[in-house]
Amino acid sequence: MSSPALSVAEYLKLINDTLRLIPSDQVVIEGEVSDFRVAQGKWVSFDLKDEQAQAVLKCFMTTWQLKTAIEDGMRVQVKGHPNVYERFGTFKLNVETLEPVGEGALRRAYELLKRKLETEGLFDVSRKRELPRFPQRIGLITSRDAAAYGDFLRILNNRWGGVKILHAHVHVQGREAVGEIVGAFEYFNRLDDRPDVLVLTRGGGGLEDLHAFNDEQVARAIYASKIPVVVAVGHERDESLADFVADVRASTPSNAAERIVPSRSDVSYELETLTGHMESRLSHTIQDRAFVLERVTNLIGFILERQKERLSRAKEGLLLLVNSWLPRLREGLESSTRVLRQVDPKRVLARGYSLVTVGGRVVRDASTLEVGGEITVQFAAGCADARVSRVNNKGQQKLVQFVGRGRRMTIL
Amino acid sequence: MTTKKKTTNFTESFQELEEITRWFDSQEQLDLDVGLKKFERGLELAQELKKKLAEVENKVEEIKQKFSE
Repeated sequence: MSSPALSVAEYLKLINDTLRLIPSDQVVIEGEVSDFRVAQGKWVSFDLKDEQAQAVLKCFMTTWQLKTAIEDGMRVQVKGHPNVYERFGTFKLNVETLEPVGEGALRRAYELLKRKLETEGLFDVSRKRELPRFPQRIGLITSRDAAAYGDFLRILNNRWGGVKILHAHVHVQGREAVGEIVGAFEYFNRLDDRPDVLVLTRGGGGLEDLHAFNDEQVARAIYASKIPVVVAVGHERDESLADFVADVRASTPSNAAERIVPSRSDVSYELETLTGHMESRLSHTIQDRAFVLERVTNLIGFILERQKERLSRAKEGLLLLVNSWLPRLREGLESSTRVLRQVDPKRVLARGYSLVTVGGRVVRDASTLEVGGEITVQFAAGCADARVSRVNNKGQQKLVQFVGRGRRMTIL
Repeated sequence: MTTKKKTTNFTESFQELEEITRWFDSQEQLDLDVGLKKFERGLELAQELKKKLAEVENKVEEIKQKFSE
């Protein structure tokens, strides 16, 4: 007699328990992707097929588990746990890791992810931030064993001093790389005293080596960083998705140092230029002032000269004027002199008349004389004092006797 | 912390110097008194900045923490 029948659920559980016995961690399945779909932005489903033999493995995973972009026709290697879904009775592989295989698939995955991030705006030039001109703290994310580490520090030291470098040692390739790099970005962004700039750098390498720098999580960590990020991978020609997201893309680790700090000689030159410029502006101003001053001085001299000229012209005019009325003045004066001369009493005396004065006053009326009084008689030449001896009445003569000589004379 | 202060001063001093230089350019008619004062300040700043250029040391500090998601 057979054992009691199992329910469907019990049977599927038995199968699933049996499937769990497969050491899935160690089993890698390789195949070609087909019928790749994403539902509701969360659920990823595709078929994994062999190219030759007709074999199909239905695969299922979430978008968070899918770290790389895939498309139909791409060769991939997957690891996962097989499982039968009770509700639909379908057998599927729950994929945990998926990696493209071969350079072609990697290249394709890279292109797909690049297009996706570009569409989302992670590479937008408009969101690129400027680096501080004189950073004082730099967060350096790289392996201490990488040549990039030494190159970066050497160039930094050559160019500039007084900077503190906070070094986050991470693997730049291998399995741990992505997690460590993302962790370093989170660490720096969580700091209270954040660095001024972050540098993610490593030397060059193939697409396989650079996988961490082409990883979507790393790209998003750079995008999310509140601190400006410089990415420098390998040599000139190498490009990575991290490069495109970075605020500044440096071509090499050395170039990253050049982009982050100025060189002493440049700054020194700039200082010279700045002070030189100030000086020349200032001395120009002083020269301008001196020029203005000179002009003003000249102008004042000119004005003074003109005033002087005016003065001398006025003087000349005045002199001319004086010369024109001076002869007339002189003539007038002369005629007045003539008149005066004619009425001069001395001229009358010269004609034989005499002048009688008493006490300096001219006597005009004989009746005013007193007998015995002294009078002075003025002649044309000399004078004599006399005494009145007799006064005739009106119209009559008065006799005067000269004092001293006793002679008499009659005054008419 | 001291490093930070110093470098902040470098940025600030440099900006101040640039501002002074811009002032010289922005004036149609320079006020000589103000100009001389600014010039003196500019020279002082340039002197300070040059001194800092002589600083050669960069310090590297290893972060102890392990990084992983």
